[in-house]
Amino acid sequence: MNKTKWFTKSFIPAHEAVVARQIQGEFVLIPILSGIGDLEDAIFSLNETGKAIWNKLDGKKTLAQITQELAKEYQASPSRIANDVAGLIKELLKRKMIEEVKVGPVKENKPFSRKKSVR
Amino acid sequence: MKKIPSRFAKVIPMPRFPLWERLHSQKKALSLDLELTCRCNLNCRHCYINLSAGDKKAQEKELSFNQIKRIVDEAACQGAVWCLLTGGEPLLRKDFFEIYLYLKQKGLLVSLFTNATLITPAHVELFKKYPPRDIEVTVYGVTKETYERVTRCKGSFKAFWRGLNLLLKNGVRVRLKSTVMRANFKELALIREFCNQHTKDYFRFDPFLHLRLDRNPARNREIVAERLTPEEIVQIERDDHKRIHALKKDCDRLIQERFRYPKGNRLFYCGAGSGSFYITYDGYFKLCSSLHHPRFMYDLKKGSIRNAFNKIRPRVLSAVSYKEGFLKKCSVCSIVNLCLWCPAHTYLETKTLDSPVDYFCAVAHARKEAIEKAIIRKK
Repeated sequence: MNKTKWFTKSFIPAHEAVVARQIQGEFVLIPILSGIGDLEDAIFSLNETGKAIWNKLDGKKTLAQITQELAKEYQASPSRIANDVAGLIKELLKRKMIEEVKVGPVKENKPFSRKKSVR
Repeated sequence: MKKIPSRFAKVIPMPRFPLWERLHSQKKALSLDLELTCRCNLNCRHCYINLSAGDKKAQEKELSFNQIKRIVDEAACQGAVWCLLTGGEPLLRKDFFEIYLYLKQKGLLVSLFTNATLITPAHVELFKKYPPRDIEVTVYGVTKETYERVTRCKGSFKAFWRGLNLLLKNGVRVRLKSTVMRANFKELALIREFCNQHTKDYFRFDPFLHLRLDRNPARNREIVAERLTPEEIVQIERDDHKRIHALKKDCDRLIQERFRYPKGNRLFYCGAGSGSFYITYDGYFKLCSSLHHPRFMYDLKKGSIRNAFNKIRPRVLSAVSYKEGFLKKCSVCSIVNLCLWCPAHTYLETKTLDSPVDYFCAVAHARKEAIEKAIIRKK
């Protein structure tokens, strides 16, 4: 996939398919729908940075914007952060734990409508 | 600026997840058992809890969906990960679908104990879409005669077979087990074969029938009449190669030559309440399903899980006995780990928490003899 195009995309947690839980400091993703996560006998755990990315997946921010935000918060080169963000997003997509949000042309002065933008 | 770690996410096999150890060391409850009802559509001879499916009084006492939600919310908030739905027969609840979905949506890993007789295509659809961690079905017999001798319900074998087939054919994760009693003892080999054929998991059976929580004397007599003799229990355990191998492997812990009960006159040594708790159908908190003693129960309709733990756990940890029977027998017994004895079971047998129970004692000694013989034969 074209890397530039990839970073223009926005994603949102698949709320009907997976539950994110913070349990005693561990951030874990627990699949609730069939075929999600391939995690019959395993736990999908995100570290602090993974959790930060997860929490930024609001369907509005593009991956490029998320990468920029992380670059301000974390001590690493933008290219390293970009690679890591892409890696995690691919992993989450493979496990159907997030969904791509197709954002249409947004008219000015109108608030973002999640309902309309989610497939 | 924070340093970025090498990996954002990892998939960890369930048993190796470090969270379990942490929660355990902090005495946090990882799992809860939720008894949805004490009613059942079957009338098994050995059952310690069942009332009839149409028992209105029992039904009125059941927790409402809203009460269940409140309890589950608090449990999840405190870190509970597993939830077992049990009964009675949980599928008798008209709001079973709502309860099940709510648990799933809270991010709990849900298991279900059911007799499978009430499984419908709608249940199968639910379990296919929102898979349970597992469903455990008890196989009381593999012939109509034996099955219905246990359940005392005409047509139950057909219903069980239909329900189990629905689950298996649709790929729902099912584990099979059996409770062994006089009524199905002779069919155990066939039951084992059937279970091994139909599921990949290790088949397990339980030969211990404990007495009724409601102390119904007529039902208790029926349960005692269904119990196997110590020799019969040893025989079926010996016939199960995996089981006897596990017992032999753990022999040093099970038979301790110079045993001294490490906690002196303390009654509980089982770790009750350290990782799980149990909610009765009418909203009482217990540290395990068998510990049905008013001193160790807490009404969750009037308080929180946190309060229940704070009140009940210290009582369990500080419970002691000065009774000679306990101090000279059970508390210094070298084969206590082979024994069915525990304060909860003893309370159901004797209405005391600290009396030795002859039947338990006989089973433990028979087991010890069998393990020792097996070891000698190996040498």
